[in-house]
Amino acid sequence: MDVRTQEFAAAANRELKNERSRNFLGRLAPYFARSCAGAMKTFPDPAAAVACGRAIRADAVARLPDLLEQFAKNALACGAKIIWAKTAAQANEFILALAKEKGVRYVAKGKSMVTEEMGLNEYLKTNGIDAFETDLGEFIIQLLRRPPFHIVGPAINLPVEEIRDLFLAHGVIDEPTTDRIALGGAARRYLRDKFRRLDMAVTGVNMAAADTGAIFNVENEGNIRLCKSSPAIQVSVMSLEKVVPTMNDALHLLRLLCRHCTGQKLSSYVSIDCGPKKPGDADGPEELYILILDNGRSEIYRDVKAREALRCIRCGACLSVCPVYGKIGGYPYGWVYSGPMGQVLNPLLLGREQTRDLYFATTLCGACRDVCPAGVDHPRLFLHYREQQASSVRAQGLFFKAWGRLVKSGGRWHFAVRLLRPLINRFAANGVIRKMPGLMNGWFASRNLPALAHKTFHKQWKKQERQRDAGRR
Amino acid sequence: MKTVSLFIPCLVDLFLPRIGEATYRLLARLGVRCIYHSEQTCCGQPAVNAGFTKEARLAARHFIDVFGDDEAIVSPAGSCVCAVKTHYPELLENEPFWRERAEALAPRIYELSQYLVDVLGVSDCGAFYDGKVAYHESCHILRGLGVSAQPKELLSRVRGAKLVPLQGAETCCGFGGEFANRYPEISTAMVKEKCENYLASGADLLLLNEPGCLLNIGGYLSRHVPDRKVMHLAEFLAAAGREER
Repeated sequence: MDVRTQEFAAAANRELKNERSRNFLGRLAPYFARSCAGAMKTFPDPAAAVACGRAIRADAVARLPDLLEQFAKNALACGAKIIWAKTAAQANEFILALAKEKGVRYVAKGKSMVTEEMGLNEYLKTNGIDAFETDLGEFIIQLLRRPPFHIVGPAINLPVEEIRDLFLAHGVIDEPTTDRIALGGAARRYLRDKFRRLDMAVTGVNMAAADTGAIFNVENEGNIRLCKSSPAIQVSVMSLEKVVPTMNDALHLLRLLCRHCTGQKLSSYVSIDCGPKKPGDADGPEELYILILDNGRSEIYRDVKAREALRCIRCGACLSVCPVYGKIGGYPYGWVYSGPMGQVLNPLLLGREQTRDLYFATTLCGACRDVCPAGVDHPRLFLHYREQQASSVRAQGLFFKAWGRLVKSGGRWHFAVRLLRPLINRFAANGVIRKMPGLMNGWFASRNLPALAHKTFHKQWKKQERQRDAGRR
Repeated sequence: MKTVSLFIPCLVDLFLPRIGEATYRLLARLGVRCIYHSEQTCCGQPAVNAGFTKEARLAARHFIDVFGDDEAIVSPAGSCVCAVKTHYPELLENEPFWRERAEALAPRIYELSQYLVDVLGVSDCGAFYDGKVAYHESCHILRGLGVSAQPKELLSRVRGAKLVPLQGAETCCGFGGEFANRYPEISTAMVKEKCENYLASGADLLLLNEPGCLLNIGGYLSRHVPDRKVMHLAEFLAAAGREER
């Protein structure tokens, strides 16, 4: 997938003007708050359930290397083949080579963010193998060649007319219709055909249990279950942080994941599998490959503060509550992961340089941190990334150097304030500043600023103190 | 008689000193003696937020030197209290001497409404106001400090005042320090919505206890809806009390 993180500001401004997106986004946060809270109430003690989920993720990240080793050993014992891929390129090459070796004509895909991170679909297509997304939303954005608008509902923002035209253009429907059920049915028939005589399917992994080698998938359309039961070869791609210590841990996290994702207690389908089809099994793949993708994560792991980002379980709750996402939607974030989740992950996976906007376009309001069932502290990570990049902004560096000299002395600080006041207040009229040419244009685009007070609190206090002292004498 | 040390953050000191005075008047009226260290400067939040931690450490050490021995520190700005409480111990994590002092200081610093209700046990400030008010929950006060019941408790005891619900009260107003200037379109969309919700609430006054939000919401109102006001809780409680007498 193309990386467009550097176009953040322009894309955000474009989306701010998109009435349709704004309408949808305006309804998202209240809808999510209601449905998530409703689902959470079904826990006897919701706060304890969240605390437990956060503790599981903290533990899993702390012991990641050991857990991965344990998972691989147990999955292997179940008959799965384990592939370790250092980079996205290696992972793509492996899948392509496997497909070619097995004479696969096309690949069916289950919704998976990690394969989007790898750019697998484009890679396979370039090399002569079609990949069909089988989740309805993913199918639509694949045809549209757009990044997901929301991690849970990738095409949820699109008007039905756009989907009608898209389906007509791609031969999914023959006659135009805006009947949502008819469009869904047409996509279903179109995709269902791909599952017949399916050679190979590629899916993601929501959770992997180290103690058994089992992999978990949650979904609402049944397409992942078909991807895992009908092909000869199943490739399950997991980014390496998906592992948790035990089956119980995985099950608890699934309960939290679904509640924070769609407000369901559990998704319509949950697949748990250990290894390929065994003698006597009714269905299942003949071969199961579990591809464990690193793609920079071992490097991230070395940074003890940054590694906390690996707690993320991709529920998407942070998007749904974020006031910035709530204005601009998913496109401006410019890559697979959007909202606070993307602001935390993209800089780690793509580098801090080309993702600057992602960790600055936040008010640090903490709504994401509060809702996160995995215990990711987004604002803390943003500040960490800013710290790592601080040396690259020279003008700001000089400013804070001077600021640092003032801040450690009350005398110098308040003297500087006295010098500053007339400089700023020459822009004031009637105690209000409406504009300061060349300075803070962004602020003044929509807001006034009060003029600096004639007497700071500091100055008034000193004066009153002198009067009090004089009174005492 | 209780004594508190006033921490008057930059935005209040420079732009809104009346909030500092109101804080002083209110505390004095409630029988609290206030001291003010004139050596105080900035808590360092702007440097932390910009990623300049080395400089932020200078501010943190200075703050600890100035306020370190005070029994209780009270401030009319929640985000600065939050910076001292949550950022200092982490900023100074590799300097045991300073870290211990930062950790010892953290429980002794309070946002104003938190101090009034939780420490002083006051909920009736003797204030009077004839009209409807709404309360904006600032992010750092609500989520950073977990303070929400206290200001509402204080408001509920203001005679004549009716606290009306504000839609999206807990949603960020779009200030975020440098964010407001750097991403003006997004920030404006956020503050616009906040102001629309205020106007739709039926309240004739919006109250809050964070100077950053006050500059942002107040700045937007001043430009677009100049007859509608936003006010700091300290001013509201202090001034309304005076009116009654």
